[in-house]
Amino acid sequence: MPDATRFPHDHSSRLVDVQNLGVNYGETTALEGANFHLCPREFVAIIGPNGAGKSTLLKAMLGLVPYKGTVTFSSHLQPKPTQQIAYVPQARALDWAFPVTVWDVVMMARVKKIGWLKSATQADREIVKNALERSDLMDLRHRPIGDLSGGQRQRALLARMIARQAALLFLDEPFNGVDSTTQDRILELLEAERITGKGILMVTHDLEAAKNWCSHILLVNQTVIASGKPERVYTPENIAKTFSRGVL
Amino acid sequence: MTWLLEPLQFEFFQRALLGVGIIALLCGVIGAFVVLRGLSYIGDAMAHAVFPGIVAAFLLKIDYYLGGVAAAIITALGIGWVSRKSGLKQDAAIGTVFVGMFALGIVLLSRTKSYSVDLAHLLVGDPLGIAPEDILATTIFTVIILAALFAIRKELVLIAFDEIEARVSGLPVQRLNAFLMILIALTVVLAIQMVGTVLVVSMLVTASSTARMLTSRLSQMILVGSLVGASGGMLGLYASYHFDAPAGAMIVLVNTAIFVLVLVFRHKR
Repeated sequence: MPDATRFPHDHSSRLVDVQNLGVNYGETTALEGANFHLCPREFVAIIGPNGAGKSTLLKAMLGLVPYKGTVTFSSHLQPKPTQQIAYVPQARALDWAFPVTVWDVVMMARVKKIGWLKSATQADREIVKNALERSDLMDLRHRPIGDLSGGQRQRALLARMIARQAALLFLDEPFNGVDSTTQDRILELLEAERITGKGILMVTHDLEAAKNWCSHILLVNQTVIASGKPERVYTPENIAKTFSRGVL
Repeated sequence: MTWLLEPLQFEFFQRALLGVGIIALLCGVIGAFVVLRGLSYIGDAMAHAVFPGIVAAFLLKIDYYLGGVAAAIITALGIGWVSRKSGLKQDAAIGTVFVGMFALGIVLLSRTKSYSVDLAHLLVGDPLGIAPEDILATTIFTVIILAALFAIRKELVLIAFDEIEARVSGLPVQRLNAFLMILIALTVVLAIQMVGTVLVVSMLVTASSTARMLTSRLSQMILVGSLVGASGGMLGLYASYHFDAPAGAMIVLVNTAIFVLVLVFRHKR
Protein backbone atom coordinates (compact mmCIF):
# COMPACT_ATOMS: atom_id res chain seq x y z
CA MET A 1 0.00 0.00 0.00
CA PRO A 2 1.41 3.43 -0.92
CA ASP A 3 0.97 6.63 1.01
CA ALA A 4 -2.75 6.70 0.30
CA THR A 5 -3.23 4.54 3.41
CA ARG A 6 -1.70 7.21 5.65
CA PHE A 7 -3.56 9.90 7.45
CA PRO A 8 -1.95 13.28 6.86
CA HIS A 9 -0.14 13.74 10.14
CA ASP A 10 3.30 14.31 11.46
CA HIS A 11 5.08 11.17 12.75
CA SER A 12 5.95 12.49 16.19
CA SER A 13 2.33 13.04 17.18
CA ARG A 14 1.24 9.48 16.48
CA LEU A 15 -0.17 7.48 19.35
CA VAL A 16 0.40 4.25 17.49
CA ASP A 17 1.89 3.31 14.15
CA VAL A 18 1.05 -0.03 12.54
CA GLN A 19 3.40 -1.29 9.83
CA ASN A 20 2.88 -4.32 7.67
CA LEU A 21 0.79 -6.10 10.30
CA GLY A 22 -0.12 -9.73 9.66
CA VAL A 23 -1.98 -12.31 11.75
CA ASN A 24 -2.45 -16.00 11.00
CA TYR A 25 -4.76 -18.36 12.83
CA GLY A 26 -3.10 -21.68 12.02
CA GLU A 27 -3.29 -22.00 8.24
CA THR A 28 -5.80 -19.18 7.87
CA THR A 29 -4.63 -15.66 7.13
CA ALA A 30 -6.75 -13.23 9.11
CA LEU A 31 -4.78 -10.11 8.27
CA GLU A 32 -1.85 -9.27 6.03
CA GLY A 33 0.20 -6.18 5.25
CA ALA A 34 -1.99 -3.78 7.23
CA ASN A 35 -0.64 -0.22 7.55
CA PHE A 36 -2.19 2.73 9.34
CA HIS A 37 -1.69 5.00 12.31
CA LEU A 38 -3.69 6.77 14.95
CA CYS A 39 -3.14 10.27 16.34
CA PRO A 40 -4.63 12.11 19.29
CA ARG A 41 -8.11 13.52 18.59
CA GLU A 42 -8.75 10.97 15.87
CA PHE A 43 -11.90 8.88 16.00
CA VAL A 44 -11.40 6.05 13.52
CA ALA A 45 -14.09 3.60 12.44
CA ILE A 46 -12.87 0.18 11.31
CA ILE A 47 -15.33 -1.09 8.73
CA GLY A 48 -15.46 -4.34 6.81
CA PRO A 49 -17.47 -7.53 6.32
CA ASN A 50 -17.69 -10.34 8.88
CA GLY A 51 -14.43 -12.25 9.15
CA ALA A 52 -12.46 -9.37 7.60
CA GLY A 53 -10.02 -9.27 10.52
CA LYS A 54 -11.39 -6.13 12.22
CA SER A 55 -11.41 -7.56 15.76
CA THR A 56 -8.13 -9.32 15.01
CA LEU A 57 -6.56 -5.97 14.19
CA LEU A 58 -7.52 -4.63 17.61
CA LYS A 59 -6.38 -7.80 19.36
CA ALA A 60 -3.00 -7.78 17.62
CA MET A 61 -2.41 -4.16 18.64
CA LEU A 62 -3.33 -5.11 22.21
CA GLY A 63 -0.81 -7.94 22.12
CA LEU A 64 -3.53 -10.54 22.65
CA VAL A 65 -2.70 -12.51 19.48
CA PRO A 66 0.74 -13.12 17.93
CA TYR A 67 1.45 -11.00 14.85
CA LYS A 68 4.06 -10.20 12.21
CA GLY A 69 5.07 -6.64 11.41
CA THR A 70 5.42 -3.79 13.88
CA VAL A 71 3.10 -1.91 16.20
CA THR A 72 4.92 1.16 17.52
CA PHE A 73 3.41 3.17 20.32
CA SER A 74 4.26 6.79 21.09
CA SER A 75 7.17 7.11 23.50
CA HIS A 76 4.85 9.20 25.70
CA LEU A 77 2.84 6.09 26.50
CA GLN A 78 4.88 4.72 29.39
CA PRO A 79 5.73 2.43 31.09
CA LYS A 80 3.78 -0.23 29.18
CA PRO A 81 1.95 1.23 26.16
CA THR A 82 -0.77 -1.43 26.02
CA GLN A 83 -1.77 -0.44 29.55
CA GLN A 84 -2.65 2.93 28.06
CA ILE A 85 -5.35 1.27 25.98
CA ALA A 86 -8.87 0.85 27.30
CA TYR A 87 -10.51 -2.01 25.45
CA VAL A 88 -14.26 -2.48 25.18
CA PRO A 89 -14.89 -6.05 24.02
CA GLN A 90 -18.05 -7.23 22.31
CA ALA A 91 -20.62 -7.35 25.10
CA ARG A 92 -21.63 -10.89 24.22
CA ALA A 93 -18.09 -12.07 25.01
CA LEU A 94 -18.73 -11.50 28.71
CA ASP A 95 -20.68 -13.53 31.28
CA TRP A 96 -23.50 -11.19 32.31
CA ALA A 97 -24.74 -13.63 34.94
CA PHE A 98 -21.51 -13.03 36.85
CA PRO A 99 -22.41 -12.04 40.43
CA VAL A 100 -21.19 -8.43 40.53
CA THR A 101 -22.87 -5.01 40.48
CA VAL A 102 -22.54 -2.23 37.94
CA TRP A 103 -20.34 -0.34 40.39
CA ASP A 104 -18.06 -3.39 40.78
CA VAL A 105 -17.60 -3.70 37.01
CA VAL A 106 -16.62 -0.05 36.60
CA MET A 107 -14.29 -0.27 39.61
CA MET A 108 -12.52 -3.15 37.81
CA ALA A 109 -10.96 -0.49 35.58
CA ARG A 110 -9.05 0.72 38.62
CA VAL A 111 -7.67 -2.65 39.84
CA LYS A 112 -4.22 -2.26 38.29
CA LYS A 113 -3.91 1.40 39.36
CA ILE A 114 -5.02 0.63 42.93
CA GLY A 115 -2.19 -1.87 43.17
CA TRP A 116 -1.49 -5.05 45.09
CA LEU A 117 -2.96 -5.49 48.57
CA LYS A 118 -4.57 -2.06 48.52
CA SER A 119 -8.18 -0.94 48.46
CA ALA A 120 -9.79 1.73 46.31
CA THR A 121 -9.08 5.27 47.48
CA GLN A 122 -11.52 8.18 47.55
CA ALA A 123 -9.97 9.31 44.25
CA ASP A 124 -10.76 5.94 42.63
CA ARG A 125 -14.34 6.15 43.89
CA GLU A 126 -14.70 9.65 42.44
CA ILE A 127 -13.42 8.45 39.06
CA VAL A 128 -15.89 5.55 39.07
CA LYS A 129 -18.75 7.83 40.15
CA ASN A 130 -17.94 10.31 37.41
CA ALA A 131 -17.79 7.55 34.78
CA LEU A 132 -21.16 6.20 35.93
CA GLU A 133 -22.74 9.65 35.87
CA ARG A 134 -21.50 10.33 32.37
CA SER A 135 -22.93 6.99 31.25
CA ASP A 136 -26.29 7.66 32.98
CA LEU A 137 -25.87 4.59 35.19
CA MET A 138 -25.53 6.20 38.62
CA ASP A 139 -29.05 5.14 39.62
CA LEU A 140 -28.34 1.55 38.60
CA ARG A 141 -24.96 1.29 40.28
CA HIS A 142 -26.05 -1.20 42.97
CA ARG A 143 -27.84 -3.50 40.50
CA PRO A 144 -26.41 -6.90 39.57
CA ILE A 145 -25.17 -6.66 35.98
CA GLY A 146 -27.51 -9.51 35.05
CA ASP A 147 -30.45 -7.11 35.52
CA LEU A 148 -29.23 -4.69 32.85
CA SER A 149 -30.71 -4.33 29.36
CA GLY A 150 -28.49 -4.62 26.29
CA GLY A 151 -28.04 -0.87 26.04
CA GLN A 152 -27.29 -0.52 29.76
CA ARG A 153 -24.68 -3.30 29.54
CA GLN A 154 -22.95 -1.49 26.73
CA ARG A 155 -23.01 1.75 28.73
CA ALA A 156 -21.54 -0.09 31.74
CA LEU A 157 -18.64 -1.17 29.55
CA LEU A 158 -18.30 2.42 28.33
CA ALA A 159 -18.20 3.60 31.94
CA ARG A 160 -15.48 1.06 32.69
CA MET A 161 -13.57 2.35 29.66
CA ILE A 162 -13.85 5.95 30.89
CA ALA A 163 -12.69 4.95 34.38
CA ARG A 164 -9.52 3.44 32.90
CA GLN A 165 -8.43 6.99 31.92
CA ALA A 166 -6.43 5.61 28.99
CA ALA A 167 -4.93 7.54 26.09
CA LEU A 168 -6.21 5.08 23.50
CA LEU A 169 -9.73 3.66 23.32
CA PHE A 170 -10.46 0.47 21.37
CA LEU A 171 -14.07 -0.59 20.95
CA ASP A 172 -15.38 -3.75 19.28
CA GLU A 173 -18.90 -3.29 17.92
CA PRO A 174 -20.29 -1.12 20.73
CA PHE A 175 -23.62 -0.70 18.89
CA ASN A 176 -24.54 -4.40 18.92
CA GLY A 177 -27.91 -4.90 20.57
CA VAL A 178 -28.46 -1.23 21.48
CA ASP A 179 -31.23 1.10 20.30
CA SER A 180 -30.58 4.30 18.38
CA THR A 181 -30.92 6.52 21.47
CA THR A 182 -28.19 4.55 23.26
CA GLN A 183 -26.09 4.53 20.11
CA ASP A 184 -26.23 8.35 19.97
CA ARG A 185 -25.41 8.54 23.67
CA ILE A 186 -22.37 6.29 23.16
CA LEU A 187 -21.22 8.38 20.20
CA GLU A 188 -21.59 11.61 22.23
CA LEU A 189 -19.49 10.07 25.01
CA LEU A 190 -16.80 9.00 22.56
CA GLU A 191 -16.78 12.44 20.95
CA ALA A 192 -16.34 13.99 24.40
CA GLU A 193 -13.38 11.67 24.99
CA ARG A 194 -11.93 12.46 21.57
CA ILE A 195 -11.80 16.21 22.12
CA THR A 196 -9.77 15.70 25.29
CA GLY A 197 -6.99 14.36 23.03
CA LYS A 198 -7.62 10.63 22.97
CA GLY A 199 -7.28 8.39 19.96
CA ILE A 200 -10.23 6.09 19.30
CA LEU A 201 -10.47 2.92 17.19
CA MET A 202 -13.96 1.48 16.83
CA VAL A 203 -15.04 -1.61 14.94
CA THR A 204 -18.56 -1.09 13.60
CA HIS A 205 -20.96 -2.21 10.90
CA ASP A 206 -22.77 1.12 10.88
CA LEU A 207 -21.41 2.99 7.84
CA GLU A 208 -23.82 5.87 8.38
CA ALA A 209 -22.85 6.51 12.02
CA ALA A 210 -19.18 6.22 11.06
CA LYS A 211 -19.61 8.85 8.37
CA ASN A 212 -21.44 11.25 10.69
CA TRP A 213 -19.28 10.90 13.78
CA CYS A 214 -15.83 9.59 12.95
CA SER A 215 -12.90 11.69 11.82
CA HIS A 216 -11.42 8.87 9.79
CA ILE A 217 -12.47 5.56 8.27
CA LEU A 218 -10.39 2.42 7.92
CA LEU A 219 -11.83 -0.01 5.36
CA VAL A 220 -10.57 -3.49 6.19
CA ASN A 221 -10.82 -6.83 4.44
CA GLN A 222 -7.84 -8.96 5.44
CA THR A 223 -5.74 -5.85 4.89
CA VAL A 224 -6.33 -2.10 4.96
CA ILE A 225 -8.19 -1.36 1.71
CA ALA A 226 -8.37 2.40 2.24
CA SER A 227 -8.08 4.93 5.00
CA GLY A 228 -8.66 8.63 5.47
CA LYS A 229 -11.50 11.11 5.89
CA PRO A 230 -14.95 9.60 5.31
CA GLU A 231 -15.76 11.61 2.19
CA ARG A 232 -12.49 10.47 0.58
CA VAL A 233 -12.72 6.84 1.62
CA TYR A 234 -16.38 6.14 0.87
CA THR A 235 -16.02 5.70 -2.88
CA PRO A 236 -18.04 3.03 -4.70
CA GLU A 237 -14.80 1.26 -5.70
CA ASN A 238 -13.46 1.12 -2.16
CA ILE A 239 -16.78 -0.09 -0.77
CA ALA A 240 -17.05 -2.75 -3.47
CA LYS A 241 -13.48 -3.86 -2.85
CA THR A 242 -14.03 -4.06 0.89
CA PHE A 243 -17.26 -6.00 0.80
CA SER A 244 -16.31 -8.48 -1.93
CA ARG A 245 -14.86 -11.80 -0.86
CA GLY A 246 -11.28 -12.96 -1.26
CA VAL A 247 -9.42 -9.69 -1.63
CA LEU A 248 -5.97 -11.17 -1.21
CA MET B 1 -32.66 -34.03 70.49
CA THR B 2 -30.83 -37.21 71.39
CA TRP B 3 -30.34 -37.58 67.63
CA LEU B 4 -28.21 -34.44 67.87
CA LEU B 5 -26.60 -34.97 71.28
CA GLU B 6 -25.81 -38.65 71.35
CA PRO B 7 -22.91 -38.63 68.85
CA LEU B 8 -21.42 -35.58 70.53
CA GLN B 9 -20.27 -37.62 73.52
CA PHE B 10 -17.53 -39.04 71.29
CA GLU B 11 -14.47 -36.91 70.85
CA PHE B 12 -13.83 -38.30 67.36
CA PHE B 13 -17.27 -37.07 66.33
CA GLN B 14 -16.65 -33.57 67.73
CA ARG B 15 -13.36 -33.44 65.84
CA ALA B 16 -15.06 -34.61 62.65
CA LEU B 17 -17.70 -31.85 62.98
CA LEU B 18 -15.01 -29.25 63.50
CA GLY B 19 -12.86 -30.54 60.63
CA VAL B 20 -15.75 -30.73 58.18
CA GLY B 21 -16.90 -27.25 59.24
CA ILE B 22 -13.48 -25.72 58.63
CA ILE B 23 -13.03 -27.42 55.25
CA ALA B 24 -16.55 -26.48 54.15
CA LEU B 25 -15.86 -22.85 55.03
CA LEU B 26 -12.66 -22.91 52.97
CA CYS B 27 -14.35 -24.70 50.08
CA GLY B 28 -17.18 -22.16 50.10
CA VAL B 29 -14.67 -19.40 49.43
CA ILE B 30 -12.41 -21.09 46.90
CA GLY B 31 -15.35 -22.99 45.39
CA ALA B 32 -16.87 -19.67 44.32
CA PHE B 33 -13.86 -19.09 42.07
CA VAL B 34 -13.87 -22.72 40.88
CA VAL B 35 -17.54 -22.44 39.87
CA LEU B 36 -17.28 -18.98 38.30
CA ARG B 37 -14.17 -19.92 36.32
CA GLY B 38 -15.54 -23.32 35.26
CA LEU B 39 -12.64 -25.18 36.90
CA SER B 40 -14.50 -28.09 38.49
CA TYR B 41 -13.07 -30.58 36.01
CA ILE B 42 -9.58 -29.37 36.88
CA GLY B 43 -10.39 -29.65 40.59
CA ASP B 44 -11.36 -33.27 39.99
CA ALA B 45 -8.15 -33.89 38.03
CA MET B 46 -6.10 -32.41 40.85
CA ALA B 47 -7.67 -34.76 43.35
CA HIS B 48 -6.51 -37.68 41.23
CA ALA B 49 -3.10 -36.24 40.46
CA VAL B 50 -2.11 -35.50 44.07
CA PHE B 51 -2.96 -39.09 44.99
CA PRO B 52 0.51 -40.64 44.39
CA GLY B 53 2.05 -37.78 46.41
CA ILE B 54 -0.14 -38.55 49.36
CA VAL B 55 0.50 -42.29 49.04
CA ALA B 56 4.25 -41.70 48.76
CA ALA B 57 4.19 -39.61 51.92
CA PHE B 58 2.28 -42.41 53.62
CA LEU B 59 4.76 -45.09 52.46
CA LEU B 60 7.84 -43.04 53.27
CA LYS B 61 6.30 -42.13 56.61
CA ILE B 62 6.68 -38.42 55.99
CA ASP B 63 3.97 -35.96 56.95
CA TYR B 64 0.66 -36.20 55.02
CA TYR B 65 0.64 -32.46 54.45
CA LEU B 66 4.22 -32.35 53.20
CA GLY B 67 3.54 -35.01 50.58
CA GLY B 68 0.19 -33.47 49.73
CA VAL B 69 1.50 -29.93 49.38
CA ALA B 70 4.40 -31.05 47.18
CA ALA B 71 2.01 -33.06 45.03
CA ALA B 72 -0.42 -30.13 44.90
CA ILE B 73 2.17 -27.66 43.64
CA ILE B 74 3.59 -30.09 41.07
CA THR B 75 0.08 -30.88 39.85
CA ALA B 76 -1.08 -27.26 39.69
CA LEU B 77 1.90 -26.18 37.62
CA GLY B 78 2.00 -29.48 35.71
CA ILE B 79 -1.53 -29.15 34.32
CA GLY B 80 -0.56 -26.00 32.45
CA TRP B 81 2.79 -27.43 31.40
CA VAL B 82 1.41 -30.68 30.01
CA SER B 83 -1.23 -28.98 27.87
CA ARG B 84 1.30 -26.43 26.56
CA LYS B 85 3.97 -29.04 25.83
CA SER B 86 1.68 -31.64 24.28
CA GLY B 87 -0.40 -29.21 22.24
CA LEU B 88 -3.41 -31.24 23.34
CA LYS B 89 -6.54 -29.58 24.60
CA GLN B 90 -6.51 -29.32 28.36
CA ASP B 91 -9.18 -31.99 28.91
CA ALA B 92 -7.24 -34.60 26.91
CA ALA B 93 -4.00 -33.70 28.70
CA ILE B 94 -5.78 -34.08 32.03
CA GLY B 95 -7.49 -37.32 31.05
CA THR B 96 -4.21 -38.87 29.96
CA VAL B 97 -1.62 -37.75 32.47
CA PHE B 98 -3.48 -37.24 35.69
CA VAL B 99 -5.57 -40.35 35.67
CA GLY B 100 -2.26 -42.11 35.00
CA MET B 101 -0.89 -40.57 38.17
CA PHE B 102 -3.94 -41.80 40.04
CA ALA B 103 -3.23 -45.34 38.81
CA LEU B 104 0.37 -44.96 39.97
CA GLY B 105 -0.91 -44.00 43.42
CA ILE B 106 -3.07 -47.13 43.59
CA VAL B 107 -0.14 -49.38 42.53
CA LEU B 108 2.11 -47.73 45.12
CA LEU B 109 -0.50 -48.21 47.79
CA SER B 110 -0.95 -51.89 46.91
CA ARG B 111 2.57 -52.49 48.31
CA THR B 112 1.26 -51.94 51.84
CA LYS B 113 -0.16 -54.62 54.12
CA SER B 114 -3.28 -52.66 55.04
CA TYR B 115 -3.91 -51.91 51.37
CA SER B 116 -7.70 -52.21 51.17
CA VAL B 117 -8.45 -50.18 54.30
CA ASP B 118 -6.00 -47.43 53.35
CA LEU B 119 -7.28 -47.32 49.80
CA ALA B 120 -10.87 -47.02 50.99
CA HIS B 121 -9.95 -44.14 53.32
CA LEU B 122 -8.09 -42.27 50.61
CA LEU B 123 -10.78 -42.85 48.01
CA VAL B 124 -13.90 -42.01 49.99
CA GLY B 125 -12.48 -40.17 53.00
CA ASP B 126 -12.46 -40.81 56.72
CA PRO B 127 -13.61 -37.71 58.60
CA LEU B 128 -14.28 -39.75 61.75
CA GLY B 129 -10.62 -40.77 61.86
CA ILE B 130 -9.24 -37.24 62.03
CA ALA B 131 -6.58 -36.78 64.70
CA PRO B 132 -6.29 -33.65 66.87
CA GLU B 133 -3.05 -32.68 65.11
CA ASP B 134 -4.87 -32.93 61.75
CA ILE B 135 -7.38 -30.37 62.99
CA LEU B 136 -4.54 -28.05 63.91
CA ALA B 137 -2.78 -28.49 60.56
CA THR B 138 -6.06 -28.08 58.64
CA THR B 139 -6.80 -24.87 60.53
CA ILE B 140 -3.36 -23.41 59.84
CA PHE B 141 -3.54 -24.23 56.12
CA THR B 142 -7.09 -22.89 55.91
CA VAL B 143 -6.04 -19.57 57.43
CA ILE B 144 -3.08 -19.32 55.02
CA ILE B 145 -5.19 -20.13 51.93
CA LEU B 146 -7.99 -17.73 52.96
CA ALA B 147 -5.48 -14.96 53.66
CA ALA B 148 -3.87 -15.47 50.24
CA LEU B 149 -7.27 -15.38 48.52
CA PHE B 150 -8.27 -12.27 50.45
CA ALA B 151 -5.03 -10.53 49.50
CA ILE B 152 -5.58 -10.92 45.73
CA ARG B 153 -9.37 -10.96 45.66
CA LYS B 154 -9.88 -7.92 43.44
CA GLU B 155 -7.39 -9.24 40.88
CA LEU B 156 -8.98 -12.72 40.93
CA VAL B 157 -12.48 -11.30 40.48
CA LEU B 158 -11.35 -9.20 37.52
CA ILE B 159 -9.69 -12.22 35.86
CA ALA B 160 -12.78 -14.34 36.50
CA PHE B 161 -15.13 -11.76 34.94
CA ASP B 162 -12.95 -10.54 32.07
CA GLU B 163 -9.54 -12.12 31.62
CA ILE B 164 -8.83 -10.01 28.52
CA GLU B 165 -9.36 -6.78 30.46
CA ALA B 166 -7.05 -8.10 33.18
CA ARG B 167 -4.33 -8.82 30.61
CA VAL B 168 -4.78 -5.50 28.79
CA SER B 169 -4.63 -3.54 32.03
CA GLY B 170 -1.29 -5.22 32.79
CA LEU B 171 -1.99 -7.81 35.48
CA PRO B 172 0.28 -10.90 35.44
CA VAL B 173 -2.68 -13.12 34.57
CA GLN B 174 -0.71 -16.30 33.94
CA ARG B 175 1.07 -16.12 37.28
CA LEU B 176 -2.13 -15.29 39.15
CA ASN B 177 -3.86 -18.24 37.49
CA ALA B 178 -1.00 -20.55 38.50
CA PHE B 179 -1.23 -19.22 42.05
CA LEU B 180 -4.99 -19.84 42.14
CA MET B 181 -4.34 -23.38 40.90
CA ILE B 182 -1.94 -23.98 43.77
CA LEU B 183 -4.51 -22.70 46.28
CA ILE B 184 -7.16 -24.99 44.76
CA ALA B 185 -4.75 -27.93 44.88
CA LEU B 186 -3.93 -27.25 48.55
CA THR B 187 -7.64 -27.11 49.32
CA VAL B 188 -8.08 -30.43 47.52
CA VAL B 189 -5.35 -32.00 49.68
CA LEU B 190 -7.10 -30.82 52.85
CA ALA B 191 -10.53 -31.94 51.67
CA ILE B 192 -9.32 -35.41 50.65
CA GLN B 193 -9.03 -36.27 54.35
CA MET B 194 -12.74 -35.60 54.77
CA VAL B 195 -14.38 -36.99 51.68
CA GLY B 196 -11.61 -38.76 49.76
CA THR B 197 -10.18 -38.41 46.27
CA VAL B 198 -13.21 -39.53 44.35
CA LEU B 199 -15.68 -37.25 46.10
CA VAL B 200 -13.55 -34.18 46.70
CA VAL B 201 -14.80 -32.25 43.70
CA SER B 202 -18.18 -32.13 45.42
CA MET B 203 -16.67 -30.16 48.32
CA LEU B 204 -15.34 -27.67 45.80
CA VAL B 205 -18.40 -27.16 43.67
CA THR B 206 -21.68 -28.51 45.11
CA ALA B 207 -22.30 -25.96 47.87
CA SER B 208 -20.93 -23.14 45.72
CA SER B 209 -23.22 -24.12 42.86
CA THR B 210 -26.16 -24.07 45.29
CA ALA B 211 -25.08 -20.61 46.42
CA ARG B 212 -24.69 -19.50 42.80
CA MET B 213 -28.37 -20.16 42.21
CA LEU B 214 -29.44 -18.24 45.31
CA THR B 215 -27.32 -15.09 45.10
CA SER B 216 -26.34 -12.31 42.74
CA ARG B 217 -23.35 -10.91 44.62
CA LEU B 218 -20.00 -12.61 44.98
CA SER B 219 -19.75 -11.86 48.72
CA GLN B 220 -23.18 -13.41 49.29
CA MET B 221 -22.29 -16.36 47.12
CA ILE B 222 -19.19 -17.04 49.24
CA LEU B 223 -21.10 -16.64 52.51
CA VAL B 224 -24.02 -18.83 51.44
CA GLY B 225 -21.67 -21.41 49.90
CA SER B 226 -19.71 -21.71 53.15
CA LEU B 227 -22.81 -21.93 55.31
CA VAL B 228 -24.60 -24.42 53.06
CA GLY B 229 -21.43 -26.52 52.77
CA ALA B 230 -20.81 -26.51 56.52
CA SER B 231 -24.40 -27.37 57.45
CA GLY B 232 -24.58 -30.02 54.74
CA GLY B 233 -21.29 -31.48 55.93
CA MET B 234 -22.35 -31.62 59.57
CA LEU B 235 -25.75 -33.04 58.69
CA GLY B 236 -23.96 -35.65 56.60
CA LEU B 237 -21.83 -36.65 59.57
CA TYR B 238 -24.92 -37.13 61.75
CA ALA B 239 -26.61 -39.13 58.99
CA SER B 240 -23.50 -41.25 58.68
CA TYR B 241 -23.50 -41.93 62.43
CA HIS B 242 -27.17 -42.83 62.66
CA PHE B 243 -27.44 -44.84 59.44
CA ASP B 244 -23.99 -46.38 59.81
CA ALA B 245 -23.01 -45.24 56.30
CA PRO B 246 -19.59 -44.00 55.05
CA ALA B 247 -19.19 -40.44 56.31
CA GLY B 248 -17.53 -38.94 53.21
CA ALA B 249 -20.22 -40.26 50.92
CA MET B 250 -22.99 -39.12 53.31
CA ILE B 251 -21.61 -35.56 53.35
CA VAL B 252 -21.58 -35.43 49.56
CA LEU B 253 -25.05 -36.95 49.39
CA VAL B 254 -26.58 -34.38 51.76
CA ASN B 255 -24.93 -31.50 49.86
CA THR B 256 -26.20 -32.89 46.57
CA ALA B 257 -29.71 -33.25 48.04
CA ILE B 258 -29.62 -29.57 49.13
CA PHE B 259 -28.52 -28.60 45.63
CA VAL B 260 -31.37 -30.53 44.02
CA LEU B 261 -33.93 -29.07 46.46
CA VAL B 262 -32.78 -25.53 45.71
CA LEU B 263 -32.78 -26.26 42.00
CA VAL B 264 -36.37 -27.46 42.14
CA PHE B 265 -37.84 -24.95 44.58
CA ARG B 266 -36.00 -21.70 43.93
CA HIS B 267 -38.01 -18.79 42.63
CA LYS B 268 -37.05 -17.87 39.14
CA ARG B 269 -35.14 -14.59 39.34
